[in-house]
Amino acid sequence: MKAVILAAGEGTRLRPFTVSRPKVMIPIANRPILEYVVRALAANGITDIVLVVGYMKERIMSFFGNGSRFGVRISYAIQEKQLGTAHGALVVRDQIKEEFIMVAGDNIIDAQAIADLLRQREGVSMLVTDSEMPSKYGVVQIEGGRVKDIIEKPDKGMGNIINTGIYRFPPEMFELLEKGVMAGKAGITHVLHSCISQVDIEAVRSTGRWMDAVYPWDLVRLNEYAFNLSGQETSGTIEAGVTLRGPVSVGAGTRIRAGSYIEGPVVIGEGCEIGPYTVIFPTTSIGNGVQVAPYTVIYNSMLMNNVSIGSHSHISQAVIDDGCRIGTGLSASSGTAQVRVEDEFFKVEKAGCMVGEFTQIGPRAVLSAGTIVGANSRVGDGARVCGTLEDRSIVV
Amino acid sequence: MCGIIGYSGHRPAVEVLMDGLKRLEYRGYDSAGVAMVENGHLEMVKRQGELEVLRRALPRFEGRTGVGHTRWATCGRPSDRNAHPFISCDGKLAVVHNGIIENYATLRGELESRGHRFTSDTDTEVLVHLLEEHYRGDLRQALADTVRGIEGTYAIAAIHEKGEEIAAARKENPLVIGLGVKENFLASDVTALLSYTNKVLYVMDGETVSLTPDKVSLFNAEGTMVGREPSLVTWSAEDAQKGGFEHFMLKEIFEGPNAIHNTLLGSLDMIENGEVLPRTDFQAVKLVACGSSFHAAMVGKYAMEDIARVPTTLELASEYRYSLGAREAPLVILITQSGETADTLAAAREARRRGCRTLAVTNVVGSTITREVDEVLYTKAGPEIGVAATKTFLSQLLAMYLLAIRIGYAKGTLSHDSMRGALYSLRQSSNMVQSVLNHIHDIEEASHMIDRAEHCFFIGRNINYPTMLEAALKLKEVSYIHAEGFAAGELKHGPLALLDDSTPVIAVAIKGDHTYEKMLANISEVAARDSPVLGVGCEGDTELTRLCEQVIYIPKVRPLLSPIPVTVALQALAYFVAKRRNCSIDKPKNLAKSVTVE
Repeated sequence: MKAVILAAGEGTRLRPFTVSRPKVMIPIANRPILEYVVRALAANGITDIVLVVGYMKERIMSFFGNGSRFGVRISYAIQEKQLGTAHGALVVRDQIKEEFIMVAGDNIIDAQAIADLLRQREGVSMLVTDSEMPSKYGVVQIEGGRVKDIIEKPDKGMGNIINTGIYRFPPEMFELLEKGVMAGKAGITHVLHSCISQVDIEAVRSTGRWMDAVYPWDLVRLNEYAFNLSGQETSGTIEAGVTLRGPVSVGAGTRIRAGSYIEGPVVIGEGCEIGPYTVIFPTTSIGNGVQVAPYTVIYNSMLMNNVSIGSHSHISQAVIDDGCRIGTGLSASSGTAQVRVEDEFFKVEKAGCMVGEFTQIGPRAVLSAGTIVGANSRVGDGARVCGTLEDRSIVV
Repeated sequence: MCGIIGYSGHRPAVEVLMDGLKRLEYRGYDSAGVAMVENGHLEMVKRQGELEVLRRALPRFEGRTGVGHTRWATCGRPSDRNAHPFISCDGKLAVVHNGIIENYATLRGELESRGHRFTSDTDTEVLVHLLEEHYRGDLRQALADTVRGIEGTYAIAAIHEKGEEIAAARKENPLVIGLGVKENFLASDVTALLSYTNKVLYVMDGETVSLTPDKVSLFNAEGTMVGREPSLVTWSAEDAQKGGFEHFMLKEIFEGPNAIHNTLLGSLDMIENGEVLPRTDFQAVKLVACGSSFHAAMVGKYAMEDIARVPTTLELASEYRYSLGAREAPLVILITQSGETADTLAAAREARRRGCRTLAVTNVVGSTITREVDEVLYTKAGPEIGVAATKTFLSQLLAMYLLAIRIGYAKGTLSHDSMRGALYSLRQSSNMVQSVLNHIHDIEEASHMIDRAEHCFFIGRNINYPTMLEAALKLKEVSYIHAEGFAAGELKHGPLALLDDSTPVIAVAIKGDHTYEKMLANISEVAARDSPVLGVGCEGDTELTRLCEQVIYIPKVRPLLSPIPVTVALQALAYFVAKRRNCSIDKPKNLAKSVTVE
C-alpha cells in the first residue's frame, strides 16, 4: 500500500520556529517531526511514500532524499499554493491508483497508530484518538463505529474524541475531494463533513500514540514525549569527571567537558562543546554544533543547531532556535504566563522562553516566562524582556 | 558510500553484478569486487580503481549465484586487499558489507587468538570469520548469530560455496530485495535493479534475509518469519537518486549546510589537541591547487594571513611543479577535491623533494594524494555527482578557515577566547548558508538579468576577489556564458573598456569590510558605463540597493567569513542561469569531474 504524507504547510502558529523551515521539519528530540511519521509507516512495511511538499520544500527534499536512508522509497509532489489539505491531496491523484493511507506530516505518531488503521478492510476509515484539548481540533462524534459528525474547533462539551488527520482511502476518494474543492471546501475534514450522509466513514480508535504541537510552547512537551520513540547512541568524547545518569545520547565529535552533570533523558547532537561544569536536566534536546559554557543549568529545554549559551545561565522550559548567541548570565525561568500569538492570548502553565533563529542576546538579560522573541532580533546587555516580540526586534 | 549487489537465478551472475555495480557507481567508490559460486567452490576477484579494471581482470565465470561490492574507503586505505568481498579461512564463505563495525578491533583480537588469519585492514573482515565460526549448515541463521555480536551499522550479503542461497542483514544502511521469476536480487539501491525488475521488498532494520532463485524469506531480530507485500517502483532510476530535485547540482547546493557541519565535526580535537598539524614550527605557508580548489586556496591565503598572521603564498599546481623554487621551506598545503588531480599529485612530490612538510586537503578517503603527503585533512562533504563543484568547494573553504585557526592557535596569535569565537562563527556559517537557500527564489528571479548575456564580469575585493573568480568559473562551466572575475581595483587597468549596456556586472560589497567604500566607488564606475549591476551584499544595506539594478542579499556576516554565503548564492545563480538557457547542468560539455590527466 502507498502512503501520502501532507507536508506542504508552514505552521504559522508556530512562528518564529517556522521562519526558515516548514512545521514538519521542526526537530523534536533532534529528529524532524516528519521523520517519526516516515519511520512509523516504514515499520508497518509501507515503503512507497509520496510526500506532498510546498512551503520550503527543499528543506524536506534535502533531508529525506529518495528515502533510502529510512528504508523507504520517497517521491515528491509539489503543492505550489497552500490552498488546504484537500487541494494538497489532489496533487497526488495521478500517482495513486489503489487504496492508500493519508497522513498529516506534522504530528508525531508511532507504528501502532498506523497498524490500527491497517487492520481495517475496505472503504473510508479515519483514525481518531482521545485528546485533552479537543477544542484545538476536529471533534468526532461516533455511532456504531461510524463517524456521525465532525465539529471543527468546538467550544466545549462536544466530547474529547478527535480526528488525527490519518485516513485510509480508496482511490475513488479523489472524486469526492475534487467535488469538495470545486465547492470551495479547503480541508479534507470539510469535504468529509459535507458528505457524511452519503459515505460511511469508519472511526478507528488509535491505541498508539499521536501528538501534535499547535503553539510554540507545545514543542517542549512534544519533545518530552518523543524521547520514548527515539533511539540512543553514545559517541564523541566524554572527559573524566563527567556524570551521565539515565539515557543520555551524545553525537560524534561532541565533547562533554569535566565536571558536567547530565541527567537523562537528554539527547546531544554532533560537534557540540558542553561545559566544563554544565548541568543539564531532563528532558532536554541539544542539536548539532551547540556550545554551552561553564556553570550553566538547563532544564527541560530544546536548543536547536549552532546555539551558543554563555556561562552562568539558567534556562528552563525554553525553545531556542538555530544560530542564537546568548551572552553570560541569561536568566530564563519558567512559570505561568499569558502568551500572545496572532492577537490571541493564552494562559500557559510551565511556560519558558521561545527564541527565534539568529537572535543575539547580551549578557545578564532576563527573559520572563512565556516570552517569545522573534528571529534575527537583538537583546541588549542587562535587558528585561517579556511579551511577544516580532522578528528583527531590537531591545536596548 | 559503499554499494552492494547480489544475484541468484538463471543468468550468469557476473553480468548482473557488473551491471548493478555500474549503476551504483554514483555513490562514489575507489575499488570493487565480485565473488560467486562456481561449480561448487567460491571464486573471487577484486581490484582497486575503476570498474573497468575489475572487468578486465575477470575470467569467464559461469556461476549463477554471487555478490558484488563497490567500496568507498572508510576503514583501511583503498587497495586490492582491502576491497570487498572477503573470504573465510576455509575459503567456503564470502561476505560484502556496507557500514561501520565499531567493535571490530576487539572482535579481531579475539578471532586472531582463535587462529583466524586476516588479509586486510578493514572492519568488515571480522564478519566473514565470525560467520565461519557460526556456520552449521544454515547460512541465514549463521548471519543472524553473527550480527548479534556486532556493534555498528551494516548492510551485509553473504554466500556459501555449497548453495544458491544469499543471506543478508541490515541495520541503518540501505538494502532492498528485487523479485524476479526464478531469480532474485538484492542491492543497496533500487536503481541497481531497475533493469531487471520493478517489484521490490524493503528490508527493515534488524531483519535478516534468505534469498534463493525461487524464494525470499525475511526474519525479524527474534528469528520469526516476517510477511511483507512487495512494492512496485514506478519512477526512473535517475529521478530516484535526485530525491525530488531537478538536477544533482541543485541537490548538492542544498547539501551545503550539511557539508559544513560534517567538515567541522572533530574540529575541536584538531585545533585544541593538534590532531592535524601537531607541529607548527614552519615560518610560512604555501597553498597549491588547480581550478576551483585554487580559488579556495586564494581565500585560504587571506584567512591564514588574517587569522594566523603567517606569511602565505599561492601557486597553481601545474606551475609549482615546474618552477625552480627559491630557498624556502614553507608548509605546503595541497588542495584537491578528488585527491587524484594529476598536477596536484606531481606538486606534492615536488614539495617533498624540496624538503617541505606537506598537508593535503581532500574529500576522498584514501585517494592517491593521501599517500603522497605527511598529513591529510578530510573535508567530508560526501560524494558529489554534478561535475561543477558546489558543496565540496564550500567544505574546502571551511578547511582553509580551520587550518588558519589551528595555525593561529598553535602559534599563539589567536587567544583561546578568540579561537572559540572563531569556531562558533564557523559553525554558524551553516545557518548562514541555510538562510541563503531559504531565499533561493530571489536568486532565481535575479538570474533574468544574466541569462541572455554573451559576456559577464564578476568583481570583488579582498577576500571576495577569489569568491568572484570562482563564481565566474561556475557560470562558465554550467551556462557556457563567457564570464571573467576581476579584482575590482583592476577594472580601470583594462576591463572597463569592455563594458557596455549588454554586459552585466556582478559585484559583491560586504558592509563592515574595510574595502566596502572602495567597492561602492567601483560599482558607481561600472554603472556609469551603463552596465547593469547585480549586487551581492548584506541584508539591510540600502546603499547597495541604491547603486545596483538588483541585489542578492545574504545574512549579516563577519567579512572574513563572507565567502561562504556569497559562494552559495552565486552557485545558485549559475545554476538558474544555466537552467534558463537549457544547458546540460550536471554534465557540462568537455568537462570531467576529476582531472586525472596533466
